[in-house]
Amino acid sequence: MKLHYYPGCTLKQKTTALDISTREAMRRLDVELVEPEGWTCCGAEYPLTEEKIVGLAAPIRTLRQVREEGGDVVVTTCSFCYSVLKRANKAIQDDPLKHKRVNAYLRDDIQIDPLTKERTTDFADYNGEVKVLHLLEYLRDTVGYPKIRERITRDFRGLPVAAYYGCRLLRPQKEMAFDEPDSPHVFEDFLEAVGCAAVDYPFKQECCGSYLSVSLPDAATEASYRVLRSAKMNGAKAITVTCPLCFYNMDHRQEAIKAAYLDFSGLPVLFFTQILAWALGVDKELLGLGEHTVPAAALFSERPSTEVRS
Amino acid sequence: MTAPLSAKNKEKRIGLFVCHCGVNISSVVDVEKVAQVLKDYPGVTFSTDYVYMCSDPGQQMIIDTIKEKHLDGIIVAACSPTLHEKTFQEAARLAGLNPYQIEIANIREQDSWVHTDKEKATKKAIKIVKSHVAKARQNENLDPIKVDVTRRALVIGGGVSGLQAAMDIADHGYEVILVEKNPSIGGKMIQLSETFPTLDCSQCILTPKMVEVSRHPRIKLLTYHEVESVSGFVGNFKVRIRKKPRYVDETLCNLCGECEKVCPQIVPDEFNQGLSFRKAIYMPFPQAIPGTFTLDAEHCLGLNPVRCGKCKDVCDKKAIDYDMKETIVEEEVGAIVVATGFDLYTMQALGEYGGEKYLDVVNGLEFERILSASGPTGGEVRRPSDGKVPKSIVFVQCCGSRDTEKHMPYCSKICCMYTAKHAMMYRHKVPDGQAIVFYIDVRAGGKSFDEFYMRAVEEDKVLYIRGKVSKIFKEGDKLIVWGVDTLTGKKVEVEADMVVLAMAMVKADGVQDLLKKLKIATDIHGFLAEAHPKLRPVESLNAGFYLAGCAHGPKDIPETVAQASAAAAKVGDLFAQKELIHEPTVVPVNDELCSGCGICITMCPYSARTLDPERGVVVVNEILCEGCGACAAACPSGAAQQRNQTDNQIFSMLRAMLRE
Repeated sequence: MKLHYYPGCTLKQKTTALDISTREAMRRLDVELVEPEGWTCCGAEYPLTEEKIVGLAAPIRTLRQVREEGGDVVVTTCSFCYSVLKRANKAIQDDPLKHKRVNAYLRDDIQIDPLTKERTTDFADYNGEVKVLHLLEYLRDTVGYPKIRERITRDFRGLPVAAYYGCRLLRPQKEMAFDEPDSPHVFEDFLEAVGCAAVDYPFKQECCGSYLSVSLPDAATEASYRVLRSAKMNGAKAITVTCPLCFYNMDHRQEAIKAAYLDFSGLPVLFFTQILAWALGVDKELLGLGEHTVPAAALFSERPSTEVRS
Repeated sequence: MTAPLSAKNKEKRIGLFVCHCGVNISSVVDVEKVAQVLKDYPGVTFSTDYVYMCSDPGQQMIIDTIKEKHLDGIIVAACSPTLHEKTFQEAARLAGLNPYQIEIANIREQDSWVHTDKEKATKKAIKIVKSHVAKARQNENLDPIKVDVTRRALVIGGGVSGLQAAMDIADHGYEVILVEKNPSIGGKMIQLSETFPTLDCSQCILTPKMVEVSRHPRIKLLTYHEVESVSGFVGNFKVRIRKKPRYVDETLCNLCGECEKVCPQIVPDEFNQGLSFRKAIYMPFPQAIPGTFTLDAEHCLGLNPVRCGKCKDVCDKKAIDYDMKETIVEEEVGAIVVATGFDLYTMQALGEYGGEKYLDVVNGLEFERILSASGPTGGEVRRPSDGKVPKSIVFVQCCGSRDTEKHMPYCSKICCMYTAKHAMMYRHKVPDGQAIVFYIDVRAGGKSFDEFYMRAVEEDKVLYIRGKVSKIFKEGDKLIVWGVDTLTGKKVEVEADMVVLAMAMVKADGVQDLLKKLKIATDIHGFLAEAHPKLRPVESLNAGFYLAGCAHGPKDIPETVAQASAAAAKVGDLFAQKELIHEPTVVPVNDELCSGCGICITMCPYSARTLDPERGVVVVNEILCEGCGACAAACPSGAAQQRNQTDNQIFSMLRAMLRE
């Protein structure tokens, strides 16, 4: 079956591992991912600032395109894209002013031919019809964990893995309505479904440092260190993320973390889709492990499952 | 009571009295003009104005004029009828006029208070008064409906409020039936260690009351019973009460405790908030009343001598009977005091505090048990996970209270004080321990409350940090508490051995079905609603029901006891009456017009209307009818006509008002 998939810019540039592993994993689950034609950057955080209605045009243009292509669902893996698309969509549904003005921008942009200045095509307002789902949400609700268990061909044999939610996936709860932000379990349930043992640790929803990586690198180093340390202290052999920025702060920054905090000896950082893809039998070479600063390949040891999971 | 049609045609002699209400009305409405214009209006015999109609001279003027001018209909143009209708009805009665011939034309709330243009407001006042003239011309003499009172009360709930209410009513000389669903009376208060602000032992002050109630000749104590249904109306309720089988004959049980020793089933102990264990056959606590063992069938191996039967074998008194069955007790009562208590908000709802995950994060009631001499640790402060004496405890206030965004918007009222008490008691028992309280602001508004709180701060060196806690998690052996100190604006990280959460007080979960069956009004949080927030604080909107204790909202012990006594006094008021008077402005059914469609039955909020299946018409219990008029508005055939508010009267009012 076909499913609209919004990769977002980072997945096409710095973090292709997340993109590749997502595609490979979903292919194994009989889902063909289709990108909406002409998708653009979601706008990162900017569309969500209260006063800039024009910023919403970017995510809404993409969502409208999904609708025009006959899609009613779009999935994304990047936490930031997920947050922006879902909240922009909700803003269009709830706020008549934003609905009116964003559609006005889009109407002019889509209808008016830049050369002739004439209105060319039909335009129907976008009213928030497309449902924005995170891939974890899609796996939980649409594919279902039983089906994933059925398809698994490789066994992690209870590898202790920490699920890291970060800031964007769950909050604000009223808008994301994804999982309970103070005691979430969707990510853990996913890890258990693919044969890992989910490690419970208190820092799973704390900030990784986010964009402070640019302006105050030391603060990001400290924030990521606290998360990694807590996961490791509770027995994790790896930490999984959904967000390219979390990945950057925890993986690419890990040398700096080790230099600043001598008690920390390193922890591989994985995308959840890499775990899923490998468990479903995707070749290790297709997981994009070359992008990792902290070597992670050893975690994917080629041992076929001895027992058939049900 | 319905007068023949011809009587209506006789022209009435109507008197109009227009009130100035000081300047409340007269500053916006030209009251003299109103009286003047209406003087010649058809049907009006007499018309005047006066500065305060409700004053003694004002009332006297009405009485004198009725007698002098032989008036048989009165209109007082003044404030809302909710304020002085009774006053003027009484005046009419004194003058020998039927009180239901009084009409109140509201020209204050509905006119002078909401308008500024004198000319238009005066015009409106004239229209309002004219409409009431039209209505008054058709008003009939009505007699109040009278009904007998059963002078016995039912008290639901055996906590401190129920006990106090039961005892007071019994002391007034009336019989009381006290129903408690648990095996023993005592409620939440019996679980508390000490009480603020005096630090006297809760059990020591409550157990004498419990004994007194159980021995009172006029109190019938029904523990391990639940109210099944209530029917009837104020003064005449019929109550069905379900007796749950205890499987132990309380008259035979001599508390030897042999059964408990042999019982193989171990169950978390509710009395100790699950911090210790009991057997399936148990006594909730040593001073339980009635003093008897109770067999908890849910956890018993099966009430079957083949499967276990150990307790029955060792019982010398032959008190244990596996064949006991549920029975229904029926009682008739005149008033019902609802004292069903509260619950604590579940710690699960505040996932960030880890109350569900970490054994050493406890709620206030659990900490009461830890402090209590009769508790699981014998009164020593030891933490649940490993029994160590905690060297530091963080107390978090407002857990789920005062949070409009996610939890309860209201203040749970008692937490500031019991947290001060907890911290103080902990410092007394563990002198080298550190007590830290996170608070939003300390609300110590009660007699000797602020002094008590200051004692905790100054004498017992409890550290108060103003700010909320964002997260509690475990690192190694310690709990880490993240919070903010809003006085310095800094984030705070505190290590603690134990955390006590002052969870919000919420509606009691176990009684919601019962409250639905009672059809008793509740507020948006599920607490019982009082009839008037200031002037009728212990009565329910539903006649005959009275409120006591935390079922009505969070409150401390002194306030609970005061409210229970007040409810009992109100029950006394009711029982002191020879017969109950009910407003006659009810909505009867005209049998000839009624088609038995039953629409009015579905409209009636008081269950006053039922279908007579034989005659195919609706019959009305006039005692239950509150005269709201919902049925009259809904009735498609005009068979339901409210007395002195008939369709004819309403149309006449409209005509009078709309005619220029």
